[in-house]
Amino acid sequence: MDPITFSIIRHRLYRVIEEAVITLKHVSGSAITNEGHDLMVSLYRADGSLLMGGVGFLHHLTSAAEACKAIIRRFEGDIDEGDVFLTNCPYTAALHTSDIYLVAPIHFEGKLVAWSACFVHVYDIGAAVPGGFSPDSRDIFTEGFSSPGIKLVQKGEMRRDVMDTLLNMVRAPDMVALDLSSMIAANNVARERMGALVEKYGPEDVDSACGMLVDQSEQLFRERLAELPDGRWESRQYFDIEDETYRVLLAMTKEGDTLTFDFTGSSEQSQYGINCTYWASWGGFFAPLFPLLCHDITWNDGVLRPINMIAPEGTVVNCKRPAPVSLATVGAIQSVNNAACTCISKMLAASDKYAKEATAVWHGSHFAIFMFGQNQRGQEAIGIMTETFGGAGGARTFADGIDIGGEIPNPIGRIANVETTEATFPVRYLFRRATTDSGGPGCYRGGTGLEYAVTPHDAPDGGIHYVVSGKGTEFSMSEGLSGGHPGAPCHFNWVHNNEAAEEGRNVNAYATSLDAMTGEKQSISWGVFPLMGEDALYVRSDGGGGFGDPLAREPAALAKDVALGAVSEQVAADVYGVVLRNGVVDDAATEARRAAIREGRLSVEAAE
Amino acid sequence: MTKRISPSLNLSDAGEVACAACGHGLCPNGEPWKPHAKLNERPLKEAAGAAYTNHPRIVLRQFVCPTCAALLDTEQALPEDPFLNDHVRI
Repeated sequence: MDPITFSIIRHRLYRVIEEAVITLKHVSGSAITNEGHDLMVSLYRADGSLLMGGVGFLHHLTSAAEACKAIIRRFEGDIDEGDVFLTNCPYTAALHTSDIYLVAPIHFEGKLVAWSACFVHVYDIGAAVPGGFSPDSRDIFTEGFSSPGIKLVQKGEMRRDVMDTLLNMVRAPDMVALDLSSMIAANNVARERMGALVEKYGPEDVDSACGMLVDQSEQLFRERLAELPDGRWESRQYFDIEDETYRVLLAMTKEGDTLTFDFTGSSEQSQYGINCTYWASWGGFFAPLFPLLCHDITWNDGVLRPINMIAPEGTVVNCKRPAPVSLATVGAIQSVNNAACTCISKMLAASDKYAKEATAVWHGSHFAIFMFGQNQRGQEAIGIMTETFGGAGGARTFADGIDIGGEIPNPIGRIANVETTEATFPVRYLFRRATTDSGGPGCYRGGTGLEYAVTPHDAPDGGIHYVVSGKGTEFSMSEGLSGGHPGAPCHFNWVHNNEAAEEGRNVNAYATSLDAMTGEKQSISWGVFPLMGEDALYVRSDGGGGFGDPLAREPAALAKDVALGAVSEQVAADVYGVVLRNGVVDDAATEARRAAIREGRLSVEAAE
Repeated sequence: MTKRISPSLNLSDAGEVACAACGHGLCPNGEPWKPHAKLNERPLKEAAGAAYTNHPRIVLRQFVCPTCAALLDTEQALPEDPFLNDHVRI
């Protein structure tokens, strides 16, 4: 095949995905989908292997391949043109029940030539708590509707029995129906565009190009791995749930052109739904692997071939049924993602050529807050506070992390406007802004996270309820790199302000910080809570990890950081050793301060 | 001629893991190098400002060159957990 035709087909495949994503967003009415971009669309070969990975949450690219393969196994002989299959069973392929996969075969002249697959986090799945994150569930049976594979659309006709059964089990069935419609529409567009591609170039040439594309990715990835030094790098992620501490341990080994991710030693599976199934962990480390190691390589099955995973059964990274997993996507999968990011970046940083691709961890916690209740119009409202998608960039070896710069597992994540959230829920924002001193210090600092506070407003029930699944309040989950500090942890406060309001002391309408707010501030991190009356919810997301020695940061950069509010004068002096007088660097005092810090470092005993 | 192990460590001509800033040799490559560095360990919440509301039992370990005080690596840890150990085979 001539290289121009090959290149055209490759680009057309990616445009198929792009169009499908646009369609999905436009049909969806859900903020988590069309604002937060908690979605994914990808193309798969006839055997279910990944052909062209799209953007959205990258954890799903490889697990959706397993979803396609599971459907192929289950429905062998009963896969027809115009079918659409649903699976959301975490022990089959999905990450958790809320992330429904719709996979659809693509036929040309009666022959199966490819699959398209997509997911969204549906509005509700019928779990114990609205929205799908269920902190009190102790097994999968209380985490909502779950299917290892079911045919939703048969030869282009909706199966009403299947749809009605699913909708019968969920809250807000109209919104869930819209979620499913958006995914059916995305798959329809993918099928039509692929059909046009195959019509133009012929099924043999397109299939040949697809095979070449996968082989090309494998070859390019193996060549890159061979350029990197052999070695073994370790990472350790902690996370806290109530009074329990969990560890995800990773030892990543590179030998020649193969890479092994070994999670041996990770904590036993939890009673809480933060566990990962095998497929969630398998997808979890590909989220940083694709962009860090394969930013210029097509993301497909070729990238998977040099990779091995060891995830002991019965651990938080490979739990056994019926362990609960509703919070996997904000639980252990983030730790898998973070640990892999650290190990991959250490390996990259050991290479003169590829060091610039390394990064400290971004937005390690990825907590989630779901709200549910009656909105200001008396309608049922369920949904996520999208600020978690704002994230915080990890520092690179040559630059700061991007403030509120997103997160690695979702290159297109974003947050909703304040007005959108205020129109969806009966709340009003008191403030929302970047958080000073949240970025991990370093020669290059981590990006800041954000903080915000909301209070009930125009609420028929007096307020609303919310679910907090914010592990990462005790441990910082955004690890630093090569001497950089980890980013600041996330934090949540229930501000009990009704008493202050009754006594006429309430000032929260004008508050611009947590400290300025009236009311008792109770730290919370896990569970279902009310937001009623004059109370407020305060949320601070975690910062990104830093890179390198803070004492190596240019003093002028600190002056700018302080002027922008990213770093306080106190931290500039105490951690970075930079002394400012009226916003200007005092060179002599800075030199003396840094010398004192270095002297202090040498005054302790050696580590051995 | 040195070879890169990390942004802060090189492999010296003598085959040792060495500080990239001053060349101080820590140990033969293949051995864990962190026990040969100076260790500063203190609660993470005291190490980086008021935004660090971590539990006081969580520590920040800073591994420092014993000669020039360059910061070679950091770890967040519970005190009972071992050092992380990386090995680059050069």
